[in-house]
Amino acid sequence: MFDFLIHGFDVALTPLNLGLAFLGALLGTLFGALPGIGPINGIAILMPLAYTLGLPAESALILLAGVYTGAEYGGRMSSILLNVPGDAGAVMTTLDGHPLAKKGLAGPALGLSAVSSFVGATIAIIGLTLFAPMLAEVAVMFGPAEFFALMVFAFSSMAVMMGKDPIKTGIGAVLGVMIAMIGVDSGTGVMRYTFGMAELYDGIDFVVMIIGLFAISEILLMLEHANRSDASDEIPPVGRVMVSLKEVLSCKWAMIRSGIIGFIVGVLPGTGASVAGAVTYTTEKRISDKDNTFGTGNMRGLAAPEAGNNASAAGSFVPMLTLGIPGSGTTAVLLGALMLYNITPGPMLFTERPEVAGGLIASLYIGNIVLLALNLPLAGLFAKVLTIPRWVLVPAIAILAFVGVYQLHSDLMAIYLMLVIGIFGYLLRKLGFSLAPVILGYVLGGLMEDNLRRALSISGGDMGILWQSGISIGLWIAAVLLLVLPWLLPKLLPRKSLASA
Amino acid sequence: MRLAADRVLGIALIGLAAFAAFKATQFQVTFSYEPVGPKAFPILLSVVLTALSLVLIFRPGEDGEWPDKFVALKLAAVLLVLLGYALLFTRLGYLVTTFLAVLSLARLFEASWPKALLAAVLMALGSYYLFTLGLGISLPGGQWLPDFN
Repeated sequence: MFDFLIHGFDVALTPLNLGLAFLGALLGTLFGALPGIGPINGIAILMPLAYTLGLPAESALILLAGVYTGAEYGGRMSSILLNVPGDAGAVMTTLDGHPLAKKGLAGPALGLSAVSSFVGATIAIIGLTLFAPMLAEVAVMFGPAEFFALMVFAFSSMAVMMGKDPIKTGIGAVLGVMIAMIGVDSGTGVMRYTFGMAELYDGIDFVVMIIGLFAISEILLMLEHANRSDASDEIPPVGRVMVSLKEVLSCKWAMIRSGIIGFIVGVLPGTGASVAGAVTYTTEKRISDKDNTFGTGNMRGLAAPEAGNNASAAGSFVPMLTLGIPGSGTTAVLLGALMLYNITPGPMLFTERPEVAGGLIASLYIGNIVLLALNLPLAGLFAKVLTIPRWVLVPAIAILAFVGVYQLHSDLMAIYLMLVIGIFGYLLRKLGFSLAPVILGYVLGGLMEDNLRRALSISGGDMGILWQSGISIGLWIAAVLLLVLPWLLPKLLPRKSLASA
Repeated sequence: MRLAADRVLGIALIGLAAFAAFKATQFQVTFSYEPVGPKAFPILLSVVLTALSLVLIFRPGEDGEWPDKFVALKLAAVLLVLLGYALLFTRLGYLVTTFLAVLSLARLFEASWPKALLAAVLMALGSYYLFTLGLGISLPGGQWLPDFN
């Protein structure tokens, strides 16, 4: 049963892939540490380069997955030192991390968060190894109708779990799906929404889409932040980075609990590190905050969200590798990267392309150890990254975005399109949208339509096929429950929830 | 009804949905082997988008913080720099346009002239050699002025 993992280690331990895992971990930590550049931006910027280098699919995936997990490690740096989350997953880390730094415990806080990141990620990677092949075996039974139901479930779980505003999450996802409609319809050859522009016949290129949506809009947002007065750029002294064993042990249950919860949140399609951070922090606060010190620099309050968000990063690979449904915005980008290589992740991935699935999982084990080894001794050095001024950072992002998009087809049209998408992304973010649903919708939209049409072709147009099997009925019920319960529950038990609050 | 950003957005989105649905009805399908065809899914999406936008119009959220005039002008300037970078990218070549783009972006992000000039020279040259020699990407050499075709 674990043949794929043994084979995977053969793949991951080749010098090239080992080097790439190391490089990815290093770059990822740097990207994560830089405020504003989260895992998605890092991957968006590196993906075209990995593609140009002619790396084989599994090597490119190992590099990009290294960036992803590395960024989750790096995100904590600016959370702790500057009280500015380096990425969305590290928001909760600021709550206890920054107070610790203010007390002069920046170094131990960095050390402890590195250890809890490691523990959380390890739990989740083991979970991934155990459950992914099992889920893949179930998923083999999925037909088009089940996949369609699964995607509906993914979107509803996303709407409920992601962000404050489910309506805006929904709109973002629909907009993403609509963007995916642009181009030639594969079933009939009909041009859809191309407006006669030859550049749009193949649809909006994936790289153009994510670089525009994330990198360009980030440049615009950074300009706004630079002009805000409350931005403090002063870094407290880091001091000793090592944590004592006693401090780590005092948090061991917080880490283990949060690792498991984080993994489960990560596996749920559509919910990523930010949800995991929030859920684990509030859970840990409820369980172990007896003297009300959470939020004032409690070590457990730092360990919990860090273990949680790293666990969810690894957990979100489960649905992506086995079902082809990304568990988070970042895995949606990784899924798109795989599609560039003409690999559609899904239940067959473990049997047809074991080197991709196994190699990736094995490289996660290796990358996780590399990350701990890098982050404990070098935390002080990584912290220096935070002092890179914006006037260096922004032009660098612009250069990487332009070259990344230009080298796709040596085509200026793609660059203009990228800028337009960037403005669109900026406006969405200003209007309170999260971009992850947009990118999930964009990646899943085409698959969703394909599966719906395939299912209805099989049944000759009879809608009944969509809820014929037990699996699809279960998924439909789960989707409806997810959408209805958060609205219904408070109405059913208003007194109780008030009393316990 | 109060004029909120979300309401304007909702109305714009309904317009978009109507446009998308209208375009979908215009698709010319010459042959089809399947019962659904290319029209149904976009129309379904338009319906969902309209429904969600209606909720937004009737229950708008907070307006959020929008940039003041000064920042808005700077945002426009950054966009103009990026547009200029794109327009001149192949015409003046990678080195010259990157130098100019980095210089103006660094200035817009409040670097002093010497710092901005230094960053522009180093980043233009450094990235050029990294991309061409290190990664084997071919970058535009520049058709040079006044060849604006």
